[in-house]
Formats: sequence, structure tokens, C-alpha cells
Amino acid sequence: MEKKLMIKALNKKAEAVETLAKGESKAVAALLESGTELQMPVGCTTVFDTGWETNPRGTHPIGNCQASVRDFMGCSGDCWWPAQTPDGLTNNTDYHEVCSNMARDWRTIKYD
Amino acid sequence: MKHEWADHRIFQAKDGAILYGVDHASLFLVDSSVQEVISRWVSEPTVDLSKASESDRDVLEGLRDILLLKPAGSAKTWPPVRFDPEEFPMSTMVLEVAQDCNLRCTYCYAEGGSYGGQARLLDSETAREAARYLVRESGDLKDLTLVLFGGEPLLNMPAIKAAVLEAEKMASAAGKRLLVSLTTNGTLLNAEIVSFFRDHRVVVSVSLDGPPDLHDANRPYASGKGSYAKILSRVRGLLENHTAAVAARVTLTPDQWSRCEEVFDHLMALGFHEVGIAPASPISKDLLPDLEQEKVLLQSFAAMARRFSRVAREGRILPFANLIELLGRLHMGQTKAVACGAGYGYLAVDAAGEFYLCHRLAGEKGFEVGNLETGADPEKIRSCLGHVTAGKDQMCEKCWARTLCSGGCHYENHLRENALGIPPGSSCNFILSWLQIGIELYADLRHAGADKLLAQFEKRTGC
Repeated sequence: MEKKLMIKALNKKAEAVETLAKGESKAVAALLESGTELQMPVGCTTVFDTGWETNPRGTHPIGNCQASVRDFMGCSGDCWWPAQTPDGLTNNTDYHEVCSNMARDWRTIKYD
Repeated sequence: MKHEWADHRIFQAKDGAILYGVDHASLFLVDSSVQEVISRWVSEPTVDLSKASESDRDVLEGLRDILLLKPAGSAKTWPPVRFDPEEFPMSTMVLEVAQDCNLRCTYCYAEGGSYGGQARLLDSETAREAARYLVRESGDLKDLTLVLFGGEPLLNMPAIKAAVLEAEKMASAAGKRLLVSLTTNGTLLNAEIVSFFRDHRVVVSVSLDGPPDLHDANRPYASGKGSYAKILSRVRGLLENHTAAVAARVTLTPDQWSRCEEVFDHLMALGFHEVGIAPASPISKDLLPDLEQEKVLLQSFAAMARRFSRVAREGRILPFANLIELLGRLHMGQTKAVACGAGYGYLAVDAAGEFYLCHRLAGEKGFEVGNLETGADPEKIRSCLGHVTAGKDQMCEKCWARTLCSGGCHYENHLRENALGIPPGSSCNFILSWLQIGIELYADLRHAGADKLLAQFEKRTGC
């Protein structure tokens, strides 16, 4: 589409945001194509925050993957806030828009 | 669905404009048509995509896809959620091994190295105890950092050795990796010390302020004699025999800010691997810059950015630490909800075994947050952090740089606001301009196709 030429991602975060947008708009097509088109797990979490592999240990943040635990403990604050994210394909399709940052915006999500 | 604008900022670039999304620290290059659509729509309180013309809608949908337009009534994006210090295990300990110094630097914030009290050295048993505390309290963390600091740490090699050996032993037993770093004035370096650093892979920074006239004016001995000549003779052994990169750490007073490039060149010619330049903290009104001086520093840093850009076109990274650090963060799009790690797994320990929020606040009684015996006191940490960040949320709410800066250095703010009585926000102009230099340089490097070079930052910065 023409708009892709008008807006070009420069840094890694911008690429991640774009990937997210592509994933959302092509969700159905991606499912039909066995999900290979998406660079992220389909049907579980749809944002680039981690959270689908659980951390069995009893330390904080409980329930997140190893990588996200490391991120959480990093000294530079919340560069990647790890959080279990809601299902963005069926029940919370506008999740990435109403909750772009889980740590901050989680109250806006209406869990069923 | 109605949308509203997410905070963003536009900077001009060679081949269009840079669109910076505040919430995610995302950077996009946009062309003039996008800029034109934004300028027409940005003052609308809400954007109804169904009411836009087809060509506008194309652009607006693109902006929605990159999260610059969000559903109307979405949550406020600031302030961020505050963390609880208790949830953070120890990750970095700064050990004040010597609260004493053989130099009397004009801009020293530690009052001649003693941090305002009696000059004293950390005893070796306390050093070992501190090392054990770091490892014991580090929870599941695999990577720990021990920083040896002062005063001049080399005045107390017994404590350095005790801390490093104990921390290595404990970390290794716990299956953790330990990084040890040290900042020295270089006057006491000798072959034995250099060999200890090499054997224990200690990352060393040397405080050196540039050419002799400048350095000696800033960093004299207690006698008043300059320290440059002595350091030069001693630092060679370190530069020639150390396997790790050795950085020069420069501090310049406002009247010296026009000399950044000269200082950088001088130190690189001496053989340092990297140079970082810090403006002196305003420990007194004399060191508080006026607007003209601030402008000079920004011009100097902008000149360094132009050099960075030229060198990058030859496929090399200019080893100017300030820009490397900033470009790394911009490349990854790292956002921050807190200004730094102080109190969140990062603590300083003084010679008496007392904990402080950070190394720069050591000795300030109001920032004492526990001790080796009783451990870190989360209540005190919360209270200190609350004190240094008071009022910042409202102040930062409308600022485009809030997710990159998050309020700035606690110590710097404390000095300006509490010691000098200046209203909050006095360093904002400098910080914003500096971040803009970085953002424009980043876009310029992308424009130049320096993608491989930028990819090197991914490893360095991590996330």
C-alpha cells in the first residue's frame, strides 16, 4: 500500500510497532496460512512483550519467561515490561491500542 | 471509531521528517505528505477516520497502525507505574572502598573524597561482608556488578582485593557471573595493580580531563600541584597491558565546555579506547551554567555528533561514550519509567557499611537506606525515591522526552533543587537538546545506510 512508503520505521521499537500493526490487520489471513507469516505466536499473545512461557519459580515476576525476568530486573527501568497479555485475536482485538503498555494501561482492559 | 493523538514530536531530517512516538520511543521517517496531514489534523481533539478524505484516511490509518492515533478515551499514559524496591534483588553494588583522595578536584562532589565526613578507608572484613551481601541478596540474577569507587579507590588496595576475591568466590559458588569495574584518578597505578586488574578482568575508567593545562586546573593534588604528568607516566602501563578497553572519564566545568573536541582528540591520542565527557555537577553556584554556556556545550556535542556521522560513513564507530550510549538506547527504543536503577537493586555502600541510594548521594544522611548488618530498608528507599521524584510526574506529563529521561539524575536534581534552591526543571532544556542531537544523528546514520554499525548497538545495549 502507498502509505507504507510514506512512513518508514527507523529504530527497532518502530519495527516492532509496525510488525504488530501488520499482524493485527492480517490476523485472519495469517491463520489460514498456518501462522507462518507472523513473526510471533498466533492465538496466544499478540504483542512483542514476552509472556507465553511461564516461569515456575516463586520469584517475581511470577509466571513470566526467563528472558522477561531478566528484562524486568534490568537497571534501565521498564524497557520491556513483561506481562501475560490478553488474547488479541478474538476477545480483545483492540488490545494493542487500548493497552500499549501493560504496566501502565492494564486497567483499560476489560477481561471477560 | 474515534481516535485521538498519542504524544509525538516531529524533527526535521535530510530526507523528510523524523516522527518520534513518545510512548514507545519509536522513530519513523515520514515524507512531506504525512507531515502535511498531521499538521492539518493534529489540533483536532478527536479524529474520525470515516470523515477524512480518502487520501487523508490512508495516511491517518498508517499513523493509527504505528500507534500514533489511539482509540479516543484510552488510558492516560503518564505517570508510569512505580516499582516496589522490595521486588528487586541486588544487582549492582558500589563500594566506597576509600573515602579519601590524594587529589583535590575543583568540582568534586565528594568533598575531597570523604563525602563530607572524616576521611576513612573501608576495612577488608567489611569489604568481604559487602561482597557476600551482594551475592546473597541477588536472588535469581545471573549477572552481578561490583563497582569499586571512592574517593580514590587505589588508596585501599587491601579492601579492593578482599572485595573482589570474596565476590568472585561467592558468585562462582552460586553460578553467577560477576563484573567488576573501577574508576580511578590513575595517580597510584603500578605494575602490580595493573596485573591484578588484568587477572580479575576489572573494567577500568581513568578520570583524566584532557590536555595538561585543563587537567591540572581541574585535578590538582592537595598541595596544589597538577596531577597530569604523574598520571601520564602511570596510565601507560594500564593502556599497554590491560586486555579490556580502558575508558577516559572527563569532567569539564562550564568555562571549559567549548573544548570537548580537543579533549576527546587528546585522550584518544594517548591510547584510551573510549572517552566520555560529563559536565561537572553544580555543587556550588559557580558551577551552575548560564544559558550561553549550556549552548556552548550543546554546540560541542553537536560537533561530536557530526564527527560521529562522518566516521560512521567509513564504517567505524567514534568512541565517544556519550553518543554511543544514547544511540544504543534510541536504536532499541528503550523507554524508562524510572530515571535510573538507584534503589532498585542498585545501592552504594560506604566505608562504615551504610547503604545509600546511589554512589553520588553517599554520605548524605537523608539518603541513607540501611546497612550491611540490617540490610536494605525498603521503606527508606521508597521514601528517598519519593523525595527525589516529588512533583516530577506532573512536570514531565507533557514532555516529549519523558520516556527517555524519566526525570533525570536524582543527585543532579537534589543539588539544583535542594542545595541551590533552583525550581525543578532547570536541566530540562539541556537534556531535551541533547536527546534531539541524538535523534537527528540516529536518523542521519540510517539515511547513510549505517545499518550494520547500528546493529552493533543491539549487543551492547541489550534490553
